[in-house]
Amino acid sequence: MAPPSGLHQSAIASDFETPFPALVRSSTVPASLKSHRADPSHLAPEDAYTPISPPRQPFDAGGNGSGTDSHPRRIRRKDTSRSTSRRRKRFQKLLWVKQSYPDNYTDQTTFLENLQLNPRVQPYDFWPLVADSTVILQHVCSVVIFIVCFVGIYQERVNPISMVGWGSFATFIGWLVWDYWVTQEDPSGDGDGGDKSRSVRGGRIYREYRPPRRQDSSSGGNSQALGLPNNISTASISSASNLPSAASSVTNLVQDQPPPPPPCSNSNTASNKNSTTLLMPGHSYSRSVSSIHSVTSQTSANSPTSTTRLLGPDDEEYATNGRAYLRVSTIKSAILIYFTLLGLSPILKSLTRSTSSDSIWAMSFWLLAINIFFFDYSGGNRKMPVASLSTNAALMASTVLASRLPSTGQVFSLTLFSIEVFGLFPVFRQYARRRSWRYHVTLTLLLVLGAGGGVGMILGDVDENGWWPWKKGLIGAVVACVISAFAMGGCSWWLIGLQKYKNEIYGPWDPARPVIINRRHWDDD
Amino acid sequence: MPPTYNIAMVSDFFYPQPGGVESHIYQLSTKLIDRGHKVIVITHAYEGRTGVRYLTNGLKVYHVPFLVIFRSATLPTVFSFFPIFRNIVLRERINIVHGHASLSNFCHEAILHARTMGLRTVFTDHSLFGFADAASILTNKLLKFTLSDVDHVVCVSHTCKENTVLRASLDPLMVSVIPNAVVAENFKPLSHSTGTSSSGGNNYIPNPPPPRPLGPHDIITIVVISRLFYNKGTDLLTAAIPRILENHPNTRFIIAGSGPKAIDLEQMIEQNVLQDRVEMLGSIRHEEVRDVMVRGQIYLHPSLTEAFGTVIVEAASCGLYVVCTQVGGIPEVLPSHMTVFAKPEEDDLVAATGKAIAALRANKVRTELFHEQVKSMYSWENVAIRTERVYNGISGAISEAEFYGYDAANAPSWSATRGRSGVQSFALIDRLKRYYGCGIWAGKLFCLCVIVDYLIFLFLELWWPREQIDICPDWPRKKPGERKDSTFG
Repeated sequence: MAPPSGLHQSAIASDFETPFPALVRSSTVPASLKSHRADPSHLAPEDAYTPISPPRQPFDAGGNGSGTDSHPRRIRRKDTSRSTSRRRKRFQKLLWVKQSYPDNYTDQTTFLENLQLNPRVQPYDFWPLVADSTVILQHVCSVVIFIVCFVGIYQERVNPISMVGWGSFATFIGWLVWDYWVTQEDPSGDGDGGDKSRSVRGGRIYREYRPPRRQDSSSGGNSQALGLPNNISTASISSASNLPSAASSVTNLVQDQPPPPPPCSNSNTASNKNSTTLLMPGHSYSRSVSSIHSVTSQTSANSPTSTTRLLGPDDEEYATNGRAYLRVSTIKSAILIYFTLLGLSPILKSLTRSTSSDSIWAMSFWLLAINIFFFDYSGGNRKMPVASLSTNAALMASTVLASRLPSTGQVFSLTLFSIEVFGLFPVFRQYARRRSWRYHVTLTLLLVLGAGGGVGMILGDVDENGWWPWKKGLIGAVVACVISAFAMGGCSWWLIGLQKYKNEIYGPWDPARPVIINRRHWDDD
Repeated sequence: MPPTYNIAMVSDFFYPQPGGVESHIYQLSTKLIDRGHKVIVITHAYEGRTGVRYLTNGLKVYHVPFLVIFRSATLPTVFSFFPIFRNIVLRERINIVHGHASLSNFCHEAILHARTMGLRTVFTDHSLFGFADAASILTNKLLKFTLSDVDHVVCVSHTCKENTVLRASLDPLMVSVIPNAVVAENFKPLSHSTGTSSSGGNNYIPNPPPPRPLGPHDIITIVVISRLFYNKGTDLLTAAIPRILENHPNTRFIIAGSGPKAIDLEQMIEQNVLQDRVEMLGSIRHEEVRDVMVRGQIYLHPSLTEAFGTVIVEAASCGLYVVCTQVGGIPEVLPSHMTVFAKPEEDDLVAATGKAIAALRANKVRTELFHEQVKSMYSWENVAIRTERVYNGISGAISEAEFYGYDAANAPSWSATRGRSGVQSFALIDRLKRYYGCGIWAGKLFCLCVIVDYLIFLFLELWWPREQIDICPDWPRKKPGERKDSTFG
């Protein structure tokens, strides 16, 4: 060890610090000063935010100061009152003054005086928090319902055709309701088209809800076309011939999206043969669908500036026959997508044949977890860059899950159902929530009941009494209600409880935010 | 005979790289050598600068080869610096290890190893950090680790002290405020440039007459010298310059420095056709700063965060009237008659500059006196003396009561875990107690690091016993008595 004791041996010479007599000052606070604290010169944590500080005695009480009088150079200033020689000057938070205090002196009145703790914290209330958590509950429930449907199909307890038929029917109804809401809420298309802000808003709503409508009608068309035989070759041919136009229709609808070029050639080659190229159409399929859904999420994630600029001038035309035109075009593109899906189903079926089921379960679990965690719960008010990640993860999960299913009809049904659940249903939910609180609560309740009932039925034995274990379903629904109520209340309570650990510190050391008025006007040109 | 120490300054940042920390270390070391101490500097190897070097005054610099990752900060490997550090410390018989700059990995490692080896440690913080963003949180945790077991901390301003105390959960009494300084001889106004000599300014006229009163139509030049980064407030500058020039016809700007925001400034100049009134010099060397400064009458400093702001002291020393934003430690640095403060807002900056121009035109500001005043406020000798007091305090040459105050020394709350000079024990168990308080997980992790460090220390003692390490001969020391002649004439 190096000898620290060697440092102790030499004594201090008194002339050692004579050039700066201020530094000879030894005590920071006179020993007589005793406050209620054990150590008055020690800053207690509560000093940071309590305005009252312990009473401070004048420092000339016990100071043995000779420093200020023999101050070598006094700076001449206008306000000489501040530098008037007292026995001991008040401590100033200044560096250019020769302080009559040692360097490690900590002044109780000025130390950390500009510290701000949690200046911008807004406390949460319990019931609004619970109300907000219903959005998450809704999404979790719809994911659960999707899983239940998959398990039902996988165990062959549910007829996939009837499932997707009911789902499409519900989606169709949802589309009608949504369309009614839009026309009701958006009279600008018929009435005052000249008003700029109104027209902008109308344009934005068009923009936001176009993809759902297109796909709604696809599912609607699908229910009519269910009678079609699932002939692979015709389906693939039709898909191959239809794909470009589908892509072009998508790009027509969404002007700022570049057209996806490769899918037609891919599916053409892939429909022929060859397990190696089998991946390609899967790709193209998922890409086209995912591009549609990323469009959904992008547009619903509120990018009004570009789209409104595009749509603003056209609004007058929309006012006359825009709505009808939009309906027709969405139905058209929905049919196209429906046939595409039909054509791709046989390829999807064998997509992951070489992968073991365990990997698929794990993978789909993580993908659905990603979907839940990255979902845009903000209701489209905020820009969320990962919202498309959420939708894409869900669609990929549905794709890999569908590839476990044995027949083409099942694959088709599950994929279509996943599009309805993950692509269109969130839009409807969001709209219902914005529309009315009552709709929102009803929807939540229905979802919770459905999810709980579904889980109960899945867990029940197949042939308990007949084939429809409704008793288990009822128990499941009740349990789901209880669990969700406790989860919502508990999580809200927990979050409120965690607020006491919030400790935001602000002070003069933070970089200032510059206030600039004409901010870069040359950048906008 | 005051005690003298063997001091090792450790930092990632040292010459040949220019900068504030670098010159701080150099100037402080030089003045400490003048006061009879032995000082070495340990830094990493720069390109073309390896091995051991001697600088002026016998300042020995060790350039340790080490992997540099970002802006000349080295890769944080907690232990790999230890063997060579121990070797240097033993060769040079170091008593006190003084680390600089909180972003320097060398400094943190050196403080940890020095405590393991039983040396006194001091840390100087030169910068301000927030608490909100992820990088700051990480840095603060690291700082807390190192400073859990440091003997004393030096900060360059009171704001910096508050910040460091909060960041590292330190006892405020073990944090001293010792400002930076300027070499006033290097920053003289134009009128001084002829009559100077090396004999300490004895032949100065105490109050030289103003060279010529500034007329209402004389051109006032506003100087800006700063790296053109966001946190230096270049956006504010870009917004304010056209308005200032519009409001005040006989003014012009000189802007020195480079950086990513230079393009904005150039765009602004072209947009407003100000080529003849705004001169952009690009980056300049530190030696040229004075020559640029003396071309102007006002120095504008629009920075958004600043721990000390040496450059405004340099500007005032050159006799410039200073307009600066009221951020960080800047309000503490200069007296109010030398500065006009502005809020970090465009309007306020324009108004403050207008006020400064008006005051100069009215000849209300005796800028010719600034140099002498700054010289009396800030000197490196003063910094060295105050740093020396810190060394005395931590090594026990001045008593604990004297260093920390009587009641603090007698208070029962001082235990071995939160010890002080002389009390701050080197026993491993006491050190572990200090580190353990850093956090639920971090505390245990830090303890683990310290234990490993101690084991490495034991291994090194076995493998390279200290008897076999050569003691290097010292540079002939200055007698502490000599210093009076040179510095206080």
